[in-house]
Amino acid sequence: MTLDAQTTSGALLRERVSSHATRVKGFWTIYKGSRIGMVGVSLVLAFIIIAFVAPWLAPYHPRALVGTPFLPPTEEHLLGTDQVGRDIYSELLWGTRISLMVGLLASAFAVAIGTTIGLLSGYYRGPLDSVLMRITDLFITLPALPFMLILAALLGRNIWNIIFVIAITGWTGTARMVRSQTLSIKERPYVEAARSIGARGSQIVIRHILPNVFPLVFANAIIGIVDAILAESGISFLGLGDPTQPSWGMILYYANKAGALATGRWWFIIPPGVCIMLVAIGFAFSSYSLDQILNPRLRKRRW
Amino acid sequence: MGFKEYVGKRILQGIVTVMLAITLNFILFRIMPGDPTQAMVGDPRMDPETRIALIAKFGLDKPLLEQFVLYLYNLFSGELGVSFVQIGRPVMDIIFGRKLINTVILMGSSMFLAFALGIIVGVIAAWKHGTKVDMSSIVFSLVTYSMPVFWFGMLLLLLLSYYINVVPIAGTVTPGVAHANFFEYASDYLHHLIAPLITLAVSFFGGYFLFMRDTILDVFTEDYMLTARAKGLSDRKILFKHAMRNALLPMVSIMGVHLTFLISGATMTETVFSWDGLGRLIYDSVRDADYPVLQGIFLMMAILVVVASLCADITCAYLDPRIKEAAE
Amino acid sequence: MPILEVRDLSTHYFTLQGPVEAVDGVSFTVDAGQTFGLAGESGCGKTTVALSIMGLLPSNGRVMGGQITLDEEDLVKKDESELKKIRWTKISMIFQGAMNALNPVINVGEQIAEVILEKEEKVTKAEAWERVRELYELVELETSRVKDFPHEFSGGMRQRVMIAMALACYPKLVISDEPITALDVIVQNQILNLMKNLQKKLNLSQILITHDLSVIAETSDKVGIMYAGKLVEYADATSIFKRPLHPYTTALIGAYPSIVGEKRTLNFIPGAPPNLISPPKGCRFHPRCPYAKNICSTEQPGYLEKEAEHFVACHFVDELRNIPGLEDR
Repeated sequence: MTLDAQTTSGALLRERVSSHATRVKGFWTIYKGSRIGMVGVSLVLAFIIIAFVAPWLAPYHPRALVGTPFLPPTEEHLLGTDQVGRDIYSELLWGTRISLMVGLLASAFAVAIGTTIGLLSGYYRGPLDSVLMRITDLFITLPALPFMLILAALLGRNIWNIIFVIAITGWTGTARMVRSQTLSIKERPYVEAARSIGARGSQIVIRHILPNVFPLVFANAIIGIVDAILAESGISFLGLGDPTQPSWGMILYYANKAGALATGRWWFIIPPGVCIMLVAIGFAFSSYSLDQILNPRLRKRRW
Repeated sequence: MGFKEYVGKRILQGIVTVMLAITLNFILFRIMPGDPTQAMVGDPRMDPETRIALIAKFGLDKPLLEQFVLYLYNLFSGELGVSFVQIGRPVMDIIFGRKLINTVILMGSSMFLAFALGIIVGVIAAWKHGTKVDMSSIVFSLVTYSMPVFWFGMLLLLLLSYYINVVPIAGTVTPGVAHANFFEYASDYLHHLIAPLITLAVSFFGGYFLFMRDTILDVFTEDYMLTARAKGLSDRKILFKHAMRNALLPMVSIMGVHLTFLISGATMTETVFSWDGLGRLIYDSVRDADYPVLQGIFLMMAILVVVASLCADITCAYLDPRIKEAAE
Repeated sequence: MPILEVRDLSTHYFTLQGPVEAVDGVSFTVDAGQTFGLAGESGCGKTTVALSIMGLLPSNGRVMGGQITLDEEDLVKKDESELKKIRWTKISMIFQGAMNALNPVINVGEQIAEVILEKEEKVTKAEAWERVRELYELVELETSRVKDFPHEFSGGMRQRVMIAMALACYPKLVISDEPITALDVIVQNQILNLMKNLQKKLNLSQILITHDLSVIAETSDKVGIMYAGKLVEYADATSIFKRPLHPYTTALIGAYPSIVGEKRTLNFIPGAPPNLISPPKGCRFHPRCPYAKNICSTEQPGYLEKEAEHFVACHFVDELRNIPGLEDR
């Protein structure tokens, strides 16, 4: 490349980045106006911070046996102890890491799979489309939790298995959405123009279709995090969680097994669930706000 | 395409999906690590006669493909295998009995409740969008959506059973009690149904509500809604006659798929409330490694969902005059 | 005898980028049995005028000032429930592109009957449907098709249905918003003739909104030319077409080919209509006006009656009167 071409492409890149930046800034201004959205983002940030500083925040190590079992909340143990004598408050703080990790990773994988399938299906059509859509149909009809339970039971109680299992049941929504978006974007004039000047399929997909599909995929990913966190807690509650990674769902599993309900040990039951709920609400609120802003249909109003 | 062609095409797709589900089912339980069927044969709980009979029946000493064919043959003759836990008891028996009824009642009633409430509140919220009614419904829905189903069940039990003894702690009927007549039985049953029903209905209300609200808002942007307003029709007519009829179509079409979520929710709820249904059976089977039962339930659910989603799609096509009339 | 009087109507839409002054100071009168043609480019505010009259503005639209007098009552001051009573019984509307203006899942006869039954308490269901059949005959549709669905009709037939529906409660005034724009040319003619006949037969008053001047020429008694939310010229049809006084009107007429006479180059108006969030200062047309002078960019021209019942909003009406090319056509 000559010097000129280099500086030009550098300038073009800078321009592209700055126009992206302005759009993001504009988006943020709109987003700030949504109260639900702001509550959501605050919750998410709060939990992310907790996940990082848990080791410093927690008074005890979560796996350490530090007290008599089944203690109600006291000064020493803010939320009491569990069935073997571990401090519940510490367990909750440390559990944040697991829930967030599973939620983010599982959703990311699910969205990646779904987007790939949706793009391939929507862009290349034909027999590939039919096959992929039949596979998608199959996975849609599989009841998620039972399938996850079976896979978890067969593959073993491991956190990565859980992530895999959640991802493999959660990609279908994204796939369908991406496919329909791809179909409509494909018809747009600039895509036709790109094709007519000889651009290859992969180029068109990456440069034209993906950026347009991205906002809705992102919103989908966020709600996917909610589903993933809830799924993980469900799997753990039913006894298939990873015993080496005690998540909030696992705490509830132990609570149930130890008969906390029948004995009214509410400190064992309520706090873990509240944590799950708050994290999920954080992402759910954010996803709702995002959807309101990004979804083109919702902008045209008559009333 | 005409209605008949559409129905035909959908049925074909459904059959393909079911075939794929059957195949997946087979693969899952034969090829997965720790081959369960081989394990079944080596299971100490099994007596030698049954073992030999099973090996012969399922061809466990034959190559995989032959096993598959045998599996299909058994399947279509209604043979789903034999339980590990309840030694010798056919899986068909276990599934298609009391448990199925209990689950259907629980799932059916909660789905109905969630759907009906979701539609009505969704319509009202859309009509009053932006107001407090709307925003609080949205917040309520998002919050209930974010609650783990099983935890909500546990909360209800804690509240309604432990602290105020309004609702029984577990089961479908009070154990050990002999009921004098059907009426007594039914009221005891219903008493036990309340808490799990509320749990499931509240958990699923949110999803239906948000979808309905979105759909109605979509419908509001259509030209024919302006016409309806211009005609000076009453608000009720505009909403429930003009808007809702169009919005219900997409709602019905997602019902089939929603069944899968309901099954997941039912699994957890039944476990928490010890409700004697298929959901709890799934949990028990997983815990006890009763693979034949799992396989059977799994398959049945997949077929159920395909059928339900087929019905939903066909109902949609039937209700929508545009599809029904074409090419007639 | 005026049926409807609009005086100084101003309507704004409130958007994220600021208020859009969609209609500013528009005044006109519709007389009994007459057609008032409202013409202008897309986006000039004509539909907003119609929606303001009917009270059908979207949630971000509001009438900011003016009066709309129907039967000695000011419609602007009425609330939604009062307006509901007037809709369809006194004024009805025919929308553009009847493709989507009819509810696709309800049969057409039902959509007509429902408004009859809603508005007239004493009418029975049988009587309402009888009237539906009568209306069908009026618009030359087969009465056997009263229970058909909208998608079963062609574009022209759907428009006939819309007309039948608009007449269901025997309104005094019908507002037609681009009633034939979406149809092919031959059908356009049929529908236009149908509308003219019906109007005469039923002694209807009409506001006809369109961007197509030829339609205006064929149907209207009085004409109003709108540009960028303002009424720039208002007179009877003959005067508008034979002696247009506003440069925009002249340009619009000049943009239409005539099949008689010599071939000439078509004039077109360079530029595009202004952004109504921040309309141009002074005369809103001045950026595109070939005769604009300094004063046009600073002062809004007054809306003056320059000839008998012929209103114009332009600073230089008198000077432009004598320019060649603007003579009788």
